[in-house]
Amino acid sequence: MNVNIEFYASLMKYLPPGKSRFRREVSVEDDITLSRLITQFHISEAEAHLVLVNGHFVNCGEDRDQRKLVEGDTVSIWPPVAGG
Amino acid sequence: MNKSQAERYARHIRLPHALIVGVGGLGSPAAMYLAAAGIGKLVLCDFDIVETSNLQRQIIHRNDAVGEDKVESGRQTVAALNPECEVETISYQMEAEELKQIIESVDIVLDCTDNYPTRFDINRACVETGTPLVIGAAIRLEGQIMNYQPAANSACYQCLYTHAYGAEESCELEGVLGPVVGVIGTMQAVQTLLILAGQGEALVNRLLLFDAYSMEWQGVTLPKNPDCPVCGKG
Repeated sequence: MNVNIEFYASLMKYLPPGKSRFRREVSVEDDITLSRLITQFHISEAEAHLVLVNGHFVNCGEDRDQRKLVEGDTVSIWPPVAGG
Repeated sequence: MNKSQAERYARHIRLPHALIVGVGGLGSPAAMYLAAAGIGKLVLCDFDIVETSNLQRQIIHRNDAVGEDKVESGRQTVAALNPECEVETISYQMEAEELKQIIESVDIVLDCTDNYPTRFDINRACVETGTPLVIGAAIRLEGQIMNYQPAANSACYQCLYTHAYGAEESCELEGVLGPVVGVIGTMQAVQTLLILAGQGEALVNRLLLFDAYSMEWQGVTLPKNPDCPVCGKG
């Protein structure tokens, strides 16, 4: 199935080659979990601070392990930020 | 209000007081906009001195302020902008109890700091004292803004950040595009004025994310964590 991934800021380096600066449509295994998708793109748990599915926040840990993606979902990932 | 009313009610009307922790990249525009907007008093807190490397983004400080305390440099710029804005300065790192006392004396707090431990301390003190808090953060080309509104029982900073992620990262080491902290600090001033004006409802449990490289803003609903160690049962 196909899903959309959006990696922002310092996470853009993990995107596969493509045109958009931050978005790709990618093919993944059916029923893939959110955690598995994050691991597949080599993003560590510490880097995947804010994870959204179709714009809705998904907590780290169990919520991400259990959340199965469906065709057409958009997963957005932002890193943590503390500087000022 | 006319002049006569202003004189008559002067002792009954108190313009809001704000504490700004961190007079760097975020605190600079926040302090300047709040002073220009007519806030009654700013408490500026920072233990650092102005360095030349700060000047590309910390716009409250001038070239001739290099070597001065940041809070003193900030006071001078605020005075030049609006001499009627009272400024109190704190040029050392406060212990938890003093921080709490200062927070109790103001109407709102702006977290413009650059590290997780201080952010956690400020958040905890605001939750314990029921004081609104506007939190900004920026590094490289990215920034985030959220707020804590006790009257709305909103999510707090530790509902979002459970531990110190990438604690070694700083603007000095990682770099930051100067105007990015300007954008985020200015948005903190916007949110502060809205909350003080009682117009903060649309900001409750909202986290804004800005990526300057892709020029994308995202607004996210941030759920309150019932197990949060600070504002929840955790």
